[in-house]
Amino acid sequence: MRRRKRHIKFITIFVVLITLLHSLPAAATVEHENILSINYGGLWQRDMYLSPLLYKGMEIGITNEWWQTFNRNSNWKHEGQIHLEFGWTYSEPHNNLIYSIGINSGWGAFYSWKWSEKGWEIILGPYLDLDFMPQMHGKEVNKPFSMDLSVNICAKTGVSYHFKGKKSSYRLRYLIQTNLIGTDYMQDYWQSYYELTEGIVGNIRCSGPWNHRTLKHELTIDIQCPHSTWRLGIAHQYMEYGTHDMWFTREQVEAIIGTSFRYKTTPNKPLVLE
Amino acid sequence: MQKHIIYILTIFCSISCTHPMDKTCINTPEGNMEYLWKTIDQKYCFHEEKGIDWQGVHDLYLPQIQSLDPKDYHGLFDLLAQMLDTLQDGHVNLYSDFDISSCTKWYEGYAKNFDWQIIQKQYLHDYRIAGSLYYNTIDEGRVGYIYYSSFSNGFNASNIYEVLKTFNNCNGIVLDVRNNGGGAMDNAYKLASTFIENDTIAGYWQHKTGPGHNDFSELEEMWIHADDMPVKWLKPVIILSNRNAFSATNFFISCMKNCAPNCIVLGDKSGGGGGMPMSYELPNGWMVRFSSIKMTDINKQSIEEGIDPDLNVQMLSTDCDDILDAAIEYINSKTIHKIKNYI
Repeated sequence: MRRRKRHIKFITIFVVLITLLHSLPAAATVEHENILSINYGGLWQRDMYLSPLLYKGMEIGITNEWWQTFNRNSNWKHEGQIHLEFGWTYSEPHNNLIYSIGINSGWGAFYSWKWSEKGWEIILGPYLDLDFMPQMHGKEVNKPFSMDLSVNICAKTGVSYHFKGKKSSYRLRYLIQTNLIGTDYMQDYWQSYYELTEGIVGNIRCSGPWNHRTLKHELTIDIQCPHSTWRLGIAHQYMEYGTHDMWFTREQVEAIIGTSFRYKTTPNKPLVLE
Repeated sequence: MQKHIIYILTIFCSISCTHPMDKTCINTPEGNMEYLWKTIDQKYCFHEEKGIDWQGVHDLYLPQIQSLDPKDYHGLFDLLAQMLDTLQDGHVNLYSDFDISSCTKWYEGYAKNFDWQIIQKQYLHDYRIAGSLYYNTIDEGRVGYIYYSSFSNGFNASNIYEVLKTFNNCNGIVLDVRNNGGGAMDNAYKLASTFIENDTIAGYWQHKTGPGHNDFSELEEMWIHADDMPVKWLKPVIILSNRNAFSATNFFISCMKNCAPNCIVLGDKSGGGGGMPMSYELPNGWMVRFSSIKMTDINKQSIEEGIDPDLNVQMLSTDCDDILDAAIEYINSKTIHKIKNYI
């Protein structure tokens, strides 16, 4: 009961924060940044519902991420993201396979501190993260599968540094995110996979650092060429959640390659590319 | 600037390296045996119903496993398979890369009661196949015969429509599910739906809610929906059963016996398999499959040991099918309604 109250409190704070943002003084110009990237890397997972073994393999994903200053105050910006991925991992004896297909989506609002002369920027704010990932055992023995589903309010912060090289200008950025509170769908250890979709409501639990820990962080460099901006980077993600009966862990280390598109919009004026 | 980049890279690497993914499970003969024993102890659903002393099984097999050479994985497999054999359950299997264990004692000692060659030569002569249903009229067009060999093989409403159109002038249908080892429950519901007019409770299931042998949920209803199959057959139908009719077939026979108004079951007791199976992996990568959800009939009676037929008929002849002959005779002599009253 106490946990539920805390849960409601956090959601209220989040909603109030967003409302306040919209009541701040207006700025004339809005900056946009849209990034499309491909992620590829290693995946380690242990899904106690499917197997006690650590599964290792690869994953490939595609991410669309967009940043935008709020149209009322340029010190505040918000980010939206959608990420699709497909993973395939093998057991240690290499005789079994687990497939996973994941969708991750999120939205966050951040306050930005900028030191334009020195090229530094720091952002900090709340981020709403939605994860959905069904996983299926490759062995055709009654097609066992499990499902990860979680909605979390996270804290996200980052630092970026703009600098100029001989031929191009660069932006180095580090972002880190961890969950604070949310809800998880977690199947019961005793429950058969035939019933996963039948007991959804009963399997949703309040989550926080005591039973769900997520750390996502990435280091990227944007290289601004004359006609395009390219992104290279590395990302690491660790997630573990569960109860005393079962724990699920998932870890990814991936390389990022993408392209970024920046522009400014001003009311009643044409769109300006950067 | 370089100093800052190095600083950021150091933070990234140090955070990335501090993860607790190093929990390991013990992949030794004893570790695998303990894992298997515990999984069955906590998740298998028929311990109490079958009166199994699972702790006794542990005490019996542990010394044998401990005395095994750790490299003798064939020996380990055989011992674990023997251990699982004590459950006497056709849904229990151990899967490895070199072998699959299965328990067969539940049908040993029962008559075969089925010979497809005899049916082909003496009755069908020629037949058509709609989806996975083998069918033709027999007994000079008075009886329709369908053989369904596996609930893993699908069919659709159009297949059923074509089959029933062929049987339009027949007095009744013989639906033969002997030697059908089961498959998808969806196909069982769909086929049963052909023979009912209204939504009907087909039985109940209850799943495990904790580690104890008696930790089960309340009974939950399982429904056959009349809409699942738009084509209907409401004239007499006789289901032919034998001991090798297992799992989804066993459930189908239970549904037909209790829910279909113009149906009787004829032949031998079905094979049982009233638990929904699930599978789990062992530390060495082998898989174990076992019953995890109990199913009952509409009277809340377990169907794990099989369904008794309405009329027990054994196949005693070697050149004809006594069970099919009896079914033809019943369809031609009386309506099923009368047969049911007679029983």
